[in-house]
Amino acid sequence: MTAQHPPARRYRPPAPLGGRRGSRRGLGRRNLRAFAFLAPALVVLGLFVVWPMISALRLSFTDASGFGREEWVGLENYVTVFTDPDILNAVLNTVQYTLLFTPTAVLAALGLALLLNNPHLPFRSFFRTALFVPFVISFAVAAFAWSYLIDPQVGLLNYWLGGLGIRMGNVLQDPTLAMPAVAFVAVWKLFGFYFVIFLAGLQDIPASLYEAARVDGAGPWSRLRHVTLPLLSNTMAFVLIFAMIAALQAFDQIYVMTGGGPYGNTQTMVMEIYESGFRKLEVGFASALSYVLLIATLLLSIVQFLFFGRKEKDLS
Amino acid sequence: MTRTRTLLGAGAAALALIMTGCSGGGDADGPVELTFWHGYTEADGDVLEAIVEDFNASHEDITIATEVKTWASIDDTLLTALSAGEGPDIVAMPAERLPVYASRGAFASLDDFYEDEDSNTAHLVPGAVDMVEVEGEKYGVPAGFVPLAVYYNTSLFEDAGIEEFPQDWDQWVEAAEQLTVDENGDGTPEQYGAVIPDHETVANGLWPSLFYGNGGGIVEDGQAVIDSPQNAETLEFWRSAIVDDQISPTGVDGIGADELFGSGKAAMTVGGPWMASIATENGIDYAIAPIPAGPEAQAASAIGISMAASAEATDAEQEAAEEFFSFFLNEENSVEWSLGSGWPPLRSDIPAEDVASNPVVASLTEMAELGRPLLPGVVNSVDVLTAVDELTQRAVAGGDIDALLDEAQGKIQDALE
Amino acid sequence: MSAVAASRRGKRAIKPSTVLVTIAVVAVSAVVLLPIAIIVLTAFKPVAEVNAFPPSLFPSEWTLDNLKRVTSDLPFLRLTVNSFVFAGGVTAFALVFDSLAAYALARMDFTGRRVLLIAIIATLMIPFQATLIPLYQLVADLGWVNSYAGLIAPRAADAFGIFFLRQFFLALPRDVDAAARIDGASEFRVFRSIVLPNAVPALLTLGLFTFVNNWNDLLWPLVFTTKAEMGTITSGLTLLTGPSGIVPHGVMMAGSLIAILPLVIAFLFIQRRFIENIATTGLK
Repeated sequence: MTAQHPPARRYRPPAPLGGRRGSRRGLGRRNLRAFAFLAPALVVLGLFVVWPMISALRLSFTDASGFGREEWVGLENYVTVFTDPDILNAVLNTVQYTLLFTPTAVLAALGLALLLNNPHLPFRSFFRTALFVPFVISFAVAAFAWSYLIDPQVGLLNYWLGGLGIRMGNVLQDPTLAMPAVAFVAVWKLFGFYFVIFLAGLQDIPASLYEAARVDGAGPWSRLRHVTLPLLSNTMAFVLIFAMIAALQAFDQIYVMTGGGPYGNTQTMVMEIYESGFRKLEVGFASALSYVLLIATLLLSIVQFLFFGRKEKDLS
Repeated sequence: MTRTRTLLGAGAAALALIMTGCSGGGDADGPVELTFWHGYTEADGDVLEAIVEDFNASHEDITIATEVKTWASIDDTLLTALSAGEGPDIVAMPAERLPVYASRGAFASLDDFYEDEDSNTAHLVPGAVDMVEVEGEKYGVPAGFVPLAVYYNTSLFEDAGIEEFPQDWDQWVEAAEQLTVDENGDGTPEQYGAVIPDHETVANGLWPSLFYGNGGGIVEDGQAVIDSPQNAETLEFWRSAIVDDQISPTGVDGIGADELFGSGKAAMTVGGPWMASIATENGIDYAIAPIPAGPEAQAASAIGISMAASAEATDAEQEAAEEFFSFFLNEENSVEWSLGSGWPPLRSDIPAEDVASNPVVASLTEMAELGRPLLPGVVNSVDVLTAVDELTQRAVAGGDIDALLDEAQGKIQDALE
Repeated sequence: MSAVAASRRGKRAIKPSTVLVTIAVVAVSAVVLLPIAIIVLTAFKPVAEVNAFPPSLFPSEWTLDNLKRVTSDLPFLRLTVNSFVFAGGVTAFALVFDSLAAYALARMDFTGRRVLLIAIIATLMIPFQATLIPLYQLVADLGWVNSYAGLIAPRAADAFGIFFLRQFFLALPRDVDAAARIDGASEFRVFRSIVLPNAVPALLTLGLFTFVNNWNDLLWPLVFTTKAEMGTITSGLTLLTGPSGIVPHGVMMAGSLIAILPLVIAFLFIQRRFIENIATTGLK
């Protein structure tokens, strides 16, 4: 981005006064004014987010433990990140979690938004509220409640499902079920948020478009495919990116429910970062791992924007 | 005692005078204020508080302020707090967590303190002291050291007609089988004879205890020794008891084990002194017995709590912290702490009759010599314990024991290097 | 949905598909609400029943024992006040700072706007755990450990809020503020008198998000406060853990109930407005 050619995009506001855009003085004044608006937020973000990020970047090239003694070790931490089998395990687990969580949460949210958009449905506002309530419950509390429900000894859900002939056993200690279980808790907690966003997107689609499609003889599926989904794609991009970021940073409920077990099967990258930093006191290494995660998240976000072909609209 | 104190005090004061220029905390002339983090949240916390109050009352120039946290939250907050100079001056923590902090320079060396005759450290239980030693230097004093023991439900034992507590592994499994009840015959017992967790066991000590029983171990002289034939036998023996004989549910962790015992669904559990209060709270009649002997030895991994002084402290502060340690370890307080906390005395020179008034302490003191320190001096205990957890959990779940031991050996050796 | 279309369809007989949809939604809602029911009901169960088999949903006898134990083990009043100060303080600052920044990013033209926006979004992509130690050291250097300032300041602006409000501001019509500018109104005046009043739904929505997220945050208040009386109710729940790590389920559920109650009540009061508001925000 160069100073001479600020991006002229769709949402670019009109110049305050005609004809001043090209002049350097006008540009300087505009920059100054904008800066005044931005300053408080930038000070906070700069001081409390960016500066610690830079510190962490520096630490990632050291063997810092947090207690002052630290030596420059170059790329050693990064080499370990890419060669340690435990890290590979954490990466694969994070990918698995993301693949379990993101589509489930997004599809559940979309599906329920479509169902609740049906004006014939009784008690719509009750259901809308009910589905959103988990979002205001903390991950820690959600994790306690679900752990109790699926407790192999006294869990109510286990007991009920057992009555139906479904034996779940000790879900959180089952190497194949533990990851779906912790991903499910995140779906439970977060899908309500995506759901209301989809609902908002749906309410924004003009009814006339549906009427027109109906006149053209389009059935419900066809209307969904050709009217609803295309018009929701912007919402979809937004929801997917935030769901993905949430998935890649999965920590809270895993920390409470499985602690990364059974035998490392739910050990995600952020769990690994926490364990390296706060348990093994390898702060330098934890920082390196965090940066690898940051870059991976960034790349994935860019891919998603490209995929949805909406980068101009969303990020200009 | 007074003489040494004065001498030390004078030395410290002189040093402190030099130091005050560059440190904010310790003013040599004014009173020294120390913060003390610990995780004793129950009755033990009250006793500790009383000892600290006594200390403050008898030391005009030192004030200790305690901050009660949970053991887990001490571990969550200590690194950030110490790294920013906001940490405690004295901190108590699970003993196996001390080496990693000490090796990173978080704690002050106490070698000189141990040399001092008046430090009351001469008669400390040796295993407890092993747990504060890292690379030959001592970085803390023990606050608790107790062997794991079997806590058993005496009513269930009576119902099953078992009169004597088992003495060896075979008897132990036999008793557990007798105590296992599957009334409706659905293959899942409603009552288990024992609960043998297969990961995150109490103080990470259950499987180490079993390994010791058959002459095996985890780390010896800084080398991984997990892949021994003895350990393979141990795992085979207990897998068979847990899975084939169903004496215990599978996939349980230490906390789950405590809960099962507390709800009367398991007749025996291996635990720490708090099991006594859990049993009492739940109205369970209990007794305590040593972990039955294995084929080779009778031994139990110990639960340790250690106290350390921050390396950030000024000399005056460190001096004050040491003053507190020796006060805490004096005869009177050792007895008071033991009786109040329910843990056996930390000093081997305390006569058994001094703690006879607390039956839990009395029975635990009897078995004190069985206690072995867990991974003393191992800095990366996190990875070692993770490897052990993975090994035992996979082995109980039916994995190939030799291959698992081989894998664990590699991981533990890596962690030690 | 236009009123005409809605009313015309409303006259039709209820279709079988609507019945199916209703059943599906009821089933999903039941699963979604089950954990919340279990928290509320377990909080009032006697200890013996909490760990009884077979388990039951409802307590046979309602008891306040669990709640009493929470209130005796925790300075819960103080913690709740702290939660309000922390979450409320963060929300107040963040709404002001985020909306100012979002206004500039959405409706002002300046050099590097796009780069700045991407940079702000990128800060969301690093896990908080990674910056916790440097952040804590910084706050300690400022002398703010165990103070409300230290608890609140690092959250006084946040990237998500800026992005969220920017999306909303982008969508607001521009003719009014263009006219105001021609009339000589200052940029701040346009922001305050024209854009902000139209942004109330978005501000309310973001306010709820920010409040909820900070109220529920565990790690920052836990690590930041070294004194128990400076913690929040969410971080305080960790103090209920017993000596061996056992959390008695009944006590934990009672604590959870206390922790979530203010949020759930607040949400139920504003929910109608809130969910309708989202429809008008830029999140789509």
